[in-house]
Amino acid sequence: MNATAIERIIALLGAFVVAGCALTSLRAEWKKTGLDDHVTKIMLALLTVGCIIVVLVAVGVAGRT
Amino acid sequence: MASHAATADDALYTEVAGQRLLGFLFFLISDCVIFGSFIFVYLYIRNASPVWPPAGVERPGLYLAAVNSIVLFGSGATMHYAMEAIRRANVRRFTAFTVATIILGCMFLSGQAYEYTHLHDTWAGSTFGASFFTLTGMHGFHVFIGVIFLITVLVQTLRGTYTPMRHFGLTAATLYWHFVDVIWVALFFLFYVY
Repeated sequence: MNATAIERIIALLGAFVVAGCALTSLRAEWKKTGLDDHVTKIMLALLTVGCIIVVLVAVGVAGRT
Repeated sequence: MASHAATADDALYTEVAGQRLLGFLFFLISDCVIFGSFIFVYLYIRNASPVWPPAGVERPGLYLAAVNSIVLFGSGATMHYAMEAIRRANVRRFTAFTVATIILGCMFLSGQAYEYTHLHDTWAGSTFGASFFTLTGMHGFHVFIGVIFLITVLVQTLRGTYTPMRHFGLTAATLYWHFVDVIWVALFFLFYVY
């Protein structure tokens, strides 16, 4: 297995783990109403978007090599 | 009597913390504007160029950057867990997650340093190199400042500065770290995916 394949596997697995953590945290934060809680919700949602981009890159759908 | 004084003190702290939070959010918004300006310039240069990246310029490695991105995104998750821990007065858990965040932040910076030393382009070499090193370098500097910020709040927490009711410094550190994560989502997409 070459280095690129290992990097893709690490990125894919890591993206699933982090996206899972971010979505779980987002769900837990959802009912909170403080200003910092609202900002945190936006940040966690964008973090999930980042993970989706990494998944697309790792499976070869997006990105230029 | 002491209880009444403590309640009034807590109320004052909450009010001041609200104002500080607003001020900190304005700082983050101003930082967003700075990054937004540089991103706009990058997109302008990119659209003005017939070929992108310019002929002879190599794109940075995609999959290494993907791994590095996940390291940084993972640090955002650990920082969130650290914040939740301090709200539950669990200093031990907070320390573990904050140390994990600092390590992941350092790993990201190391990954970026590795990438910089292995790129066949320089700051002055091309418009792509200038944009890439300016934006990712500015982001890397923010991560570096964030790591120092986290070390500072970790030491303060271990000294007992923060409590479950009084932890504005930790809230600011967490929001700053999330901000750094989110900026990287945009930069990763622009330089490696788009």
